[in-house]
Amino acid sequence: MTAVIETEGLGKRYHKLWALTDCSLSIPAGHVVGLVGPNGAGKTTLMNLATGMLAPTAGRIEVLGERPAAGPGQLAQVGYLAQDAPVYAGLSVADHLRLGAHLNPGWDSELGRRRIGQLDLDPGQKAGKLSGGQRAQLALTIALGKRPELLILDEPVASLDPLARREFLQNLMEIVGERQVSVVLSSHLISDLERVCDYMIVLVDSRVRLAGTVDELLATHHLLSGPRRDPASLPDGVQVISASHTDVQSTLLVRTSGPVLDPAWTASEVGLEDLMLAYMKQASGRGQHHRHLEVQK
Amino acid sequence: MIWLTWRQFRAQAITATAAVVAFAILLVVTESRMSSLFAASGITGCHGGTCAGAATRFLVNLSSGQTFPLLPNGANAYVILYFLSVLIILAAPAIIGIFWGAPLIARELENGTNRLAWNQSITRTRWLAVKLTLIGLTAMAVTEALSLLQGWWAAPIGQAVGLGGSASIMSEGRFGIFIFPTHGITPLGYAAFGFALGVTVGLLIRRSIPAMATTLAIFAVVQFAVPLWVRPHLIPASQTIATLAAAEATVTPAGGSGIAVIASVIPGHPGAWITSSSAVNTAGQPVTGPAACESAIPRNINPGGTISWARCLASHGVRVAASYQPGSHYWPLQLAETGLFLALALALAWYCFWRLNRRLT
Repeated sequence: MTAVIETEGLGKRYHKLWALTDCSLSIPAGHVVGLVGPNGAGKTTLMNLATGMLAPTAGRIEVLGERPAAGPGQLAQVGYLAQDAPVYAGLSVADHLRLGAHLNPGWDSELGRRRIGQLDLDPGQKAGKLSGGQRAQLALTIALGKRPELLILDEPVASLDPLARREFLQNLMEIVGERQVSVVLSSHLISDLERVCDYMIVLVDSRVRLAGTVDELLATHHLLSGPRRDPASLPDGVQVISASHTDVQSTLLVRTSGPVLDPAWTASEVGLEDLMLAYMKQASGRGQHHRHLEVQK
Repeated sequence: MIWLTWRQFRAQAITATAAVVAFAILLVVTESRMSSLFAASGITGCHGGTCAGAATRFLVNLSSGQTFPLLPNGANAYVILYFLSVLIILAAPAIIGIFWGAPLIARELENGTNRLAWNQSITRTRWLAVKLTLIGLTAMAVTEALSLLQGWWAAPIGQAVGLGGSASIMSEGRFGIFIFPTHGITPLGYAAFGFALGVTVGLLIRRSIPAMATTLAIFAVVQFAVPLWVRPHLIPASQTIATLAAAEATVTPAGGSGIAVIASVIPGHPGAWITSSSAVNTAGQPVTGPAACESAIPRNINPGGTISWARCLASHGVRVAASYQPGSHYWPLQLAETGLFLALALALAWYCFWRLNRRLT
């Protein structure tokens, strides 16, 4: 399995504030990867580093085996849809396709035309007059038209209404289905990613808390409930991610490679969203918040 | 990239073309009266002493009489046109810096479109190189075109002034603070500098409007400082000592027994640019007013008073020492000033490339 993005001790500091510190990860090729994390976790910074929009303050990053934006060849392999889908307000939809054709030697003009037709965009329309959803689709068309090996999408659906959001993601899945392209997609809405991603990375405080294919993650995590007891009494190899207790009962989210055999516990499956939320909560050390929830139960 | 540069620059290019065409039409239309007055003045074929008179006659005729429609009554069309045209050339590099330079990168950063442009299969260096080259060369071409047009139109005035003619305020020689930077090759340097300055300021400030204002402020300071403190020293000035009469010097008292003296001509070097003058004795040392002349110091500055004082000073051996750039230094000075601004423009451009690759979001 080759990595599309590989970082080691990667860090970025703005003046005195570190937006990303000591980030080491390896994103495998051939997946639709969801990058999840609370606001300020460093998702956008990581994506800007991966596209060469920012230079790292510390550590190193390689994208498709090269330094990001190292040269025209490297740039041609990475399609980037930046946050808020920037387009030139004064240029028409057709102008944007022309821009793509002039600036990318591998430009797929057939794809450009077809998508504009499918999306029902008027080629003569100024991009500044498009709706948020149309703008995102136009920006995605330009990112796809260069025939990238890797597509990086930073919060592509954040500003879209639920309908446009669903359309955008469906459309994205069709494209991924018909071309061999790896995708890294960030969002703070797990439900969006749940629908399309088969690989998840949870980034909290710029650290990777969890990474793996969705199947693997769901297979190794269990929700245990049983009479109240100390989580420390669990056997070795079972890692408690979160625990909540009432007077008589304990509910634990655990990670384990094997089945939980203790008959005192009732094991059940855990949803992907709950799983990732548990990791985010754990990592951000929200003890206060945790106890508060406990009282409510 | 050339296509994108053109597509984004199209509106400005059309505006610039319209401005140059309007400028050309204005000058072509008004040129005929100027050339007929010039022909009638007898400057062509004048000999020696008659020339200055003929030249003055031409300038006086030109700056009086017929007014043009749209101009205030009694206003002198040619004087206004002359200064307006010079001012336009003087302002062109600043306007270019403000409207072409400052937004070039700042607007991309402001709207986030740099994230679109810099993620195509083209490096940032190439993106900037194409933009700077194409728009920078256009800026230079437009400014030089304005200058050549004005130079062609004002040639009779320049010739008349060169022959010693003077009338109204149209008597600035080619070293004049408004004339020197707007003629010859200096407009090329100013245009390149103004544009590069705008681009750099935009890159640093990252917002168009503040960048435009800052560009204007910096450019204005440079345009003010260069003729005062830089141009006189670009090439070592020549020195001479002449009598007050020969230098047609104006002499005024400057506190106590001090003498303020301003030479207006350099004997043997008509049209020279006098950069500084001071009072000296026959040995060339700085002097103050001799005691013998104190009674002649004018109480208030009236022409009669200063003349008698000046005569007294002259009779006591007071001379004027002047630094000047002779006419033969015109082209070397033009070359030096243009070179200076082109070098500054290149240094700014180099900085932009460096910053775009190293430090930018």
